[in-house]
Amino acid sequence: MKKFVSLVLALCLLASLSVLTSASAAGGGVINLYSFTDEVPKMIERYIELHPDFGYTVNATIIATTDGLYQPALDQALAAGGAEAPDMYCAESAFVLKYTQGDMSGYAAAYADLGIDVATVVKAADIAQYTIDIGTRPADGALAGLGYQATGGAFIYRRSLAKDTWGTDDPAEIAKKIGPGWDQFFKAAADLKAKGYGIVSGDGDVWHAVENSSEQGWIVDGALYLDPAREAFLDIAKQLKDNGYHNDTRDWTDAWYADMKGIGEQPVFGFFGPAWLINYVMAGNSGGTKAGEGTYGDWAVCEPPIGFFWGGTWVLANKDVAAEKQAAVAELVNWITLADDDQSLQYFWANGTLNGEGGTKDTVASGTVMAKSNGELDFLGGQNMFDVFVPANQFANGKNLTQYDESINNLWRDQVRQYTAGNISRDEAIAAFRQTVSDTMGID
Amino acid sequence: MQPGVKRIKGVSYAKYGYLFSIPFVLVFLFFSLYPTLYTAVIGFTDLKGVTTTSFNFLKDPFANFTGILNNATFQKSFVNTLVIWIINFIPQLSLAMLLTYWFTGRARNIRGEGVFKVMFYMPNIITAATVAILFASIFGYPVGPVNSILKAFGLASFDFSTSPWASKLIVAFIQFWMWYGYTAIILISGVLGINPELFESAEIDGASRGQAFFRITLPCLRTILLFTLITSLIGGLNMFEIPKLFNWNGGPANETMTTSVFVYAQAFSGTYLYNRAAAASMIMFLIIVALSAIVFYLMRDRYEARANRQARQAKRALRRARKGAAA
Amino acid sequence: MTTRMDITARRKPANVVLYVVCILLAILSILPFWIMFANATRSTYQVQQQAISLIPSSYLLDNLKVLSGKTFDPIVGFINSLIISTGATFCAVYFSTLTAYALVAYSWRMRQPFFTVIMAVMMIPTQVTSIGFYQFMYRLHMTNNFLALILPSIAAPATVFFMRQYMLPTLSLDMVASARIDGAGEFRIFNSFVIPVMKPAMATQAIFTFVTSWNSLFMPMILLTRKENYTMPIMVSLLKGDIYKTEYGAVYLALAMSVLPLLVVYFILSKYIIAGVALGSVKE
Repeated sequence: MKKFVSLVLALCLLASLSVLTSASAAGGGVINLYSFTDEVPKMIERYIELHPDFGYTVNATIIATTDGLYQPALDQALAAGGAEAPDMYCAESAFVLKYTQGDMSGYAAAYADLGIDVATVVKAADIAQYTIDIGTRPADGALAGLGYQATGGAFIYRRSLAKDTWGTDDPAEIAKKIGPGWDQFFKAAADLKAKGYGIVSGDGDVWHAVENSSEQGWIVDGALYLDPAREAFLDIAKQLKDNGYHNDTRDWTDAWYADMKGIGEQPVFGFFGPAWLINYVMAGNSGGTKAGEGTYGDWAVCEPPIGFFWGGTWVLANKDVAAEKQAAVAELVNWITLADDDQSLQYFWANGTLNGEGGTKDTVASGTVMAKSNGELDFLGGQNMFDVFVPANQFANGKNLTQYDESINNLWRDQVRQYTAGNISRDEAIAAFRQTVSDTMGID
Repeated sequence: MQPGVKRIKGVSYAKYGYLFSIPFVLVFLFFSLYPTLYTAVIGFTDLKGVTTTSFNFLKDPFANFTGILNNATFQKSFVNTLVIWIINFIPQLSLAMLLTYWFTGRARNIRGEGVFKVMFYMPNIITAATVAILFASIFGYPVGPVNSILKAFGLASFDFSTSPWASKLIVAFIQFWMWYGYTAIILISGVLGINPELFESAEIDGASRGQAFFRITLPCLRTILLFTLITSLIGGLNMFEIPKLFNWNGGPANETMTTSVFVYAQAFSGTYLYNRAAAASMIMFLIIVALSAIVFYLMRDRYEARANRQARQAKRALRRARKGAAA
Repeated sequence: MTTRMDITARRKPANVVLYVVCILLAILSILPFWIMFANATRSTYQVQQQAISLIPSSYLLDNLKVLSGKTFDPIVGFINSLIISTGATFCAVYFSTLTAYALVAYSWRMRQPFFTVIMAVMMIPTQVTSIGFYQFMYRLHMTNNFLALILPSIAAPATVFFMRQYMLPTLSLDMVASARIDGAGEFRIFNSFVIPVMKPAMATQAIFTFVTSWNSLFMPMILLTRKENYTMPIMVSLLKGDIYKTEYGAVYLALAMSVLPLLVVYFILSKYIIAGVALGSVKE
């Protein structure tokens, strides 16, 4: 029996120890930050480096969005409140609406309440309108979240294939070939097919443009709504597949990446995407690091047939942030989302200089910053991508989103794929989609 | 079951039975019972939405349950779960039995026996997430190792994940591959627990290997086999990670959606329908209990059952006799 | 004579089948590890272009550099994972054997109902009870406390069930009785007599519990929110946090690093699986 008792005692000791260690972490001058990548935490680390007199440290909680774990954890932490509640938190475009306009919007602080002169600063920085639309809470019309990136999308195409097909690779000319509108796009697809090229890699590439071109989001007055533009995705995808206009790949799979290198079944003309797609995905997958290697340097960007945006991170603050921390939180929020000077986050971000020269360049929300930044890329044969991406931000539409988009999009795209594969009819696809949404999400 | 040691020299040892069960019971009450009851209760309420903490009981207490039973996607996911479990479990148990037969034989000397045994369990060491990614790449469409082989034979590339049967077969195969080693190890350890004298005397009596296997090994393995069947049934009906990760949330047209994936989708993706998810969990719980009871019944020790029945009858007769005497 | 000839003649092809099957299974077992380790040395873009490759590349150091720039701290993760997994394994194996012993060796009124309860507990689907569990832990302020992940394994119904099933034919109650006559206390009998008999079963269950606990992600991820408490799988999954920019080479390196300790533990304990341990005490 003695052994047993001593074991229990040892366990109790262990328990009290771990309670002690976990209690010691909290303290004064700490800003709690919830994020799903280390991107924003790293930005703030950099801010503290640049401003040694800031006086606060940041306690970052990073929970990945994969496996659907970030939202429940953030929601619980916000709802629980107290000293450990997040003071600042990040939301991705797929679910940001829940935090700015949906179920959780009540927890977000209006930027104005933090002491930011919203109207003046937004105007001075020339923030992309769609990011403001998404960050504005309908209940009181207050701005509660903004992103640092602008993710307006363009069409990114192969110069050599354009020359071979139409005799030119000039972005202004190509934009007229592939758009505006889907009819024009399919004409271009037929031209390319005649030369043995596919216009895109798979139906997923087209989806983001289709999604954004709809008038209404998935839910209207609490009921599931299939916008005609989104319903038309069935026909667009079918037409692409039946005519062999693409390689039938799925985005984020090996075959999709292979098409960036130009080694798929047929060479692929282009991809729909924002600037980050070029930097994070396409450049590395082009099979080279300087012009002439792989497809590196053979690309250019032009206006897409339909405006859209894809991805982005919004930064929010907790409305219950402690009074003594409020100024510090406001300072960080302002530096990340609104400031437009040469020492602002967005200036560093656009020019790829946050951690020294030579970082990846990206489009940012502030038009003022974009105007004084240089977006020339070797990958694009020296083209200044900002010339295309800045106007692209104006075409993006932030008004047709719902907080359930991620789940519903997946269900819809699955059914469309079943239809294009010829497994089910068009009506069956729509019926199965409605049934599944109703059964798994309770939305009829 | 062997009768417990009741008393020696008039000392009752029963209290030690209670005493030694205390840690389990305490932890169970503390960490399991509350969450389970919580789940059971919210199945009867209107609790949904991520920030909701208060809830009301429904006017029709079983509304969530009838809703789930009539839910076409739930029905489909239930059929999927059964189908995937069966096409994984039958070959899995067969292979595990075969390996047990091979690796517990006393006469045969298998070269590298130890190495083989160690290898069989290794697929289980990798996390399900990694396994799912690897298999998704192997069966990648339109380019991937398997499709390259198809092309080498002059066939068109095949989209495995849009085909109802192919996607189910792949998920079942992954389950089979991950768990056959576990099952084999359990069975082998069960055989090693059998008193070796039984085999020695059978050998002396001139029984063949096959005879020994069917007459001694299998009957003695009954308790462990029961364990394997029950745990595999429970694990199979709660199958979650591979179906969820291999084909996102159950694949196109929900062909690989299992009931656990369904429950997860209800509770965590999108609309947080906790009440319906709880009701679905409870329904699954009842189904598992019913199926397990059937397995228990089929696998029961007939002698023991008869002995128990006789004991009960004897007790009843005794009581009746006492009653008669009192009257 | 003829019959023996027949047997040897029949045995040969069977042996060939045996080796072919076993070698095939062994290859199937090694392959994913090989791919994982090979990918750990390949660059992200090599992995994206071709996820399955058997040929290692030369990017191991680059991947290591990427990892060191992230929130991946293999030493902290290793220590945390080790504390949780060892604690959980010890609790599960020791207390399950104890509970099984209570079920097998003693005759007490609640024995059968208790066993039924254990069986029922085993059948509860875990996906949704996790909501209740998390909220309970949150209210008790046990989030970020390893005990919330260790102590629940004391009540491991499947392990109890296995131990009971193994103990029924293996444990000799006569020996228990004779130990009693020698004057040994009940708890001592369990520790110094029953445990040695149960060693093979305990070792196999220890492997299973350790592997499951080491790889578990869902509960630790929800309960442990502080960087200094992260386990290895949490750190790996954080590397994949953003679908738009995943460093696959580094992810595979991290996966390989997190599976290595597991392999070491497995190979140490696997002697029980190989040898099968002569069950000395069973022989009467």
